Amino acid sequence: MGNVVQRRTRGALRRCPFEVCGNMAGLELLSDQGYRLDGRKATELRKVQARMGVFAQADGSAYLEQGNTKALAVVYGPHEMRGSRSRTRHDQAVINCQYSMATFSTAERKRRPHGDRKSTEMSLHLKQTFEAAVMTQLYPRSQIDIYVKILQSDGGNYSVCVNAATLAVIDAGIPMRDYVCACTVGFVDETPLADLCYAEESGGVSSLALALLPRGGQIALLQMDARLHQDHLEALIEAAMTACKGVSKVLDEVVRQHLQEVSVLTGE
Amino acid sequence: SRDELVCGSSNVSLREFGCEQSLLSRPDGSASFVQGDTSVLAGVYGPAEVKVSKEIYDRATLEVLIQPKVGLPSVRERSQEQCVRETCEASLLLTLHPRSSLTLVLQVLHDDGSLLSCFLNAACMALMDAGLPMSCLFCGVTCAIDADGQIITDPTAAQEKESRALMTFAIDSKECRVMMSSTKGSFSVHELQQCIAVSQKASEKIFQFYRDSVKRRYSKTL
Amino acid sequence: MKDTPLANCERDFLLKAIEEKKRLDGRQTYDYRKMKITFGTDYGCCFVELGKTRVMAQVSCELVAPKESRPNEGIMFFNIELSPMASPTFEQGRQSELSVKLNRQLERCLRNSKCIDTESLCVVSGEKVWQIRVDVHMLNHDGNLMDAASIAAITALCHFRRPDVGIQGDEVTVYSPEERDPIPLSIYHMPISVSFSFFQQGTYLLVDPCEREERVMDGLLMIAMNKHREICSIQSSGGIMLLKEQVMRCSKIASVKVSEITELISKALENDKKARKAGGRCGFAESMPQERITALKMDETPVEMTEVTDRANDIVQKAEAPSQTVPSPVVPVPGVGQVGQGLQNTWGLEEEDEEEENDNSGEDEEVKETKMEVEQHDKEGSKQEDVVEISDSEEEEVVILHPETPDKAPKHTGPSFHQKGAAASKKKQKK
Repeated sequence: MGNVVQRRTRGALRRCPFEVCGNMAGLELLSDQGYRLDGRKATELRKVQARMGVFAQADGSAYLEQGNTKALAVVYGPHEMRGSRSRTRHDQAVINCQYSMATFSTAERKRRPHGDRKSTEMSLHLKQTFEAAVMTQLYPRSQIDIYVKILQSDGGNYSVCVNAATLAVIDAGIPMRDYVCACTVGFVDETPLADLCYAEESGGVSSLALALLPRGGQIALLQMDARLHQDHLEALIEAAMTACKGVSKVLDEVVRQHLQEVSVLTGE
Repeated sequence: SRDELVCGSSNVSLREFGCEQSLLSRPDGSASFVQGDTSVLAGVYGPAEVKVSKEIYDRATLEVLIQPKVGLPSVRERSQEQCVRETCEASLLLTLHPRSSLTLVLQVLHDDGSLLSCFLNAACMALMDAGLPMSCLFCGVTCAIDADGQIITDPTAAQEKESRALMTFAIDSKECRVMMSSTKGSFSVHELQQCIAVSQKASEKIFQFYRDSVKRRYSKTL
Repeated sequence: MKDTPLANCERDFLLKAIEEKKRLDGRQTYDYRKMKITFGTDYGCCFVELGKTRVMAQVSCELVAPKESRPNEGIMFFNIELSPMASPTFEQGRQSELSVKLNRQLERCLRNSKCIDTESLCVVSGEKVWQIRVDVHMLNHDGNLMDAASIAAITALCHFRRPDVGIQGDEVTVYSPEERDPIPLSIYHMPISVSFSFFQQGTYLLVDPCEREERVMDGLLMIAMNKHREICSIQSSGGIMLLKEQVMRCSKIASVKVSEITELISKALENDKKARKAGGRCGFAESMPQERITALKMDETPVEMTEVTDRANDIVQKAEAPSQTVPSPVVPVPGVGQVGQGLQNTWGLEEEDEEEENDNSGEDEEVKETKMEVEQHDKEGSKQEDVVEISDSEEEEVVILHPETPDKAPKHTGPSFHQKGAAASKKKQKK
């Protein structure tokens, strides 16, 4: 009897995905029918929408939405070294990343939008990702600035930032080895879940963030939290790579469409 | 047996102490000094390049940093840093290295009383290990005066707590003069003089130990 | 202080050696350096030596109010301190990139993997919980700080004992170790971080890089695991591009290393437990190697007190007695006092010292009169226009700029002008 009642509540949850923020502990993240909290299938990504060239002033900019997570990325450069010149590299460009979250991006108000350990770490990770992907050796003694701001946060902040920044870098015309696409995957009931939302991330799932250069299958960044048995690692990485490849298709479409629009405007 | 000695008071004692030099690979000089359970690790870097803002045109800039075991350095550590720095400045020949920096880092490993004197001893051993020119060696001795007015040298943390006054002296090796004093609590002039005299006596033991350990260290090369 | 740069030939040499599967210290590719774990006198104090890398961890606890979001869970706090002792490049009190990276990795390794039962740290739900603080001090940096830090931190946590508490009604009593035996933390599993460094764009891989190797590497992969082969955290850093196969290989190596290290830790803990039970002294002093030529130890030595009393008496007697006379206080102006010899106190005397000398009996009326005079004099002065130059308020500057309208100036400036003018004119009078 009890079992039946439980099923019903689950069904109700599936229909209205915005009520999930109540009680996390008792929540089942993957239903028996194979549906997730917001009604997606396990391997299904959230809807990705993006626009390039949103700012005229910046060298490159992009706005990207992945489900309810929204990010804005702006790129300046390559330009002369600014600030401390001691960081200048004689053989490659220095990438400077700054990650911040808008004060209104989460349900709880943060006192400091950037500068704490977590966002410093995020900036570091973004920097590292783009150091691997951007062909920095083409611009010795120069600097490329990437600024990313999360406008609304609903899980997968890192991945959304990377995807948005990729578009911005492309918009700036800076050569990259490949698109860098990132995705967060989780692991529930022996099943990898692609592109976690906030409710899933905070529900105690072991999550893995991965930035991929899809063509060569190279991993630019790999980060995992929480416990996971070693035997499941391969499946999880595999799922993440598939998800990243999915994202890369969307990004490629956005870039092509943008170029078409621009070429129409310039009359070529 | 220690407690008896204290009660007897006709003679006081230093806890067993030991030292190991150049135990760290990165610093130019390093030493750990142990007094009973109190132990301190010291590392010295220098003479090296100095920041322009800290540069002194006719001598080296000495920086002393004390790292507590738990938490970040506070006012207590700052005042101890100053005591150690002033002692080191008095004995080091800083004018031989103008426009350069010396950094002495002291890490508390365990505090069981007489910490400041242990800092001083570790600092001196580390400076020796770094081979920095000094006009004299120095050592630190802590004396406590308990409620009955008895003098205890090298007190433990428990003895420090019960004491009426606590004094630490840095004493030089040449003439056994007092280079630095740091006192806490109340005491008479006579007691102060007595403590200084005791510290000078105790310093002889420590300097003998310095000599022995250096002799041992270079026994194979000499 | 800047670090010594690595010479190009040294870099080439290291890389070439790695290509030939050789390492500077004669290790194999997957070998760890010699590891030594010792404990301090306190509970929760652990030293780890990994080759020449040295790390100390100290665990402490405190009763605090819990976080609002988790009212019945204790709080874990981790802090890795990059002490300038470890390397001249580390600066005190600065959040460097490395320090953020290490701190976050340790947090992820130990807090997010939930290796400690935080619910058992709750004393009174919503009011009092234990905060466990882990301070990790880097003492000597010779590469692979992360592994050494994670081993030191988890070992220190295993070694730590918190005081027992008793609750009677609303009262919480914390018992000292003499009253009741302290309680160990309940630890579910022991995550240990293993670092892999990659060279030549991931072609070569080394376990436990030393400082020199870290300086020529392209990137680092840190995998934290426990002995049950559960991965607790993975983090890649540095601009490298890994392949999935490489990650899988690293995770397999990590599982082997972790089981070895876990065994070493449990052995060290057991030895320490035995030593403590036997009642022997244990601590840093005991772990100091005696056989080394650089080390020396001296037993407890008595200090002779025979001459001490005589000498002290002698000094006290010989010393010149300080003068017993106490100078009587002087009151130059009402409200200002001075004791002893020295410089003259100038409080409140700046403006009126002339009058001071004239009237020591305090004839107020005369003073008022002089002031009145001065004010009048001043009004004249402002019309004459040249007196105004001495003072510095903005409006008066205007006067200098427009000398043809001197009458307007006093209206604008108001009472403050008069006072200032008065002082100024007084100075003039003195001259």
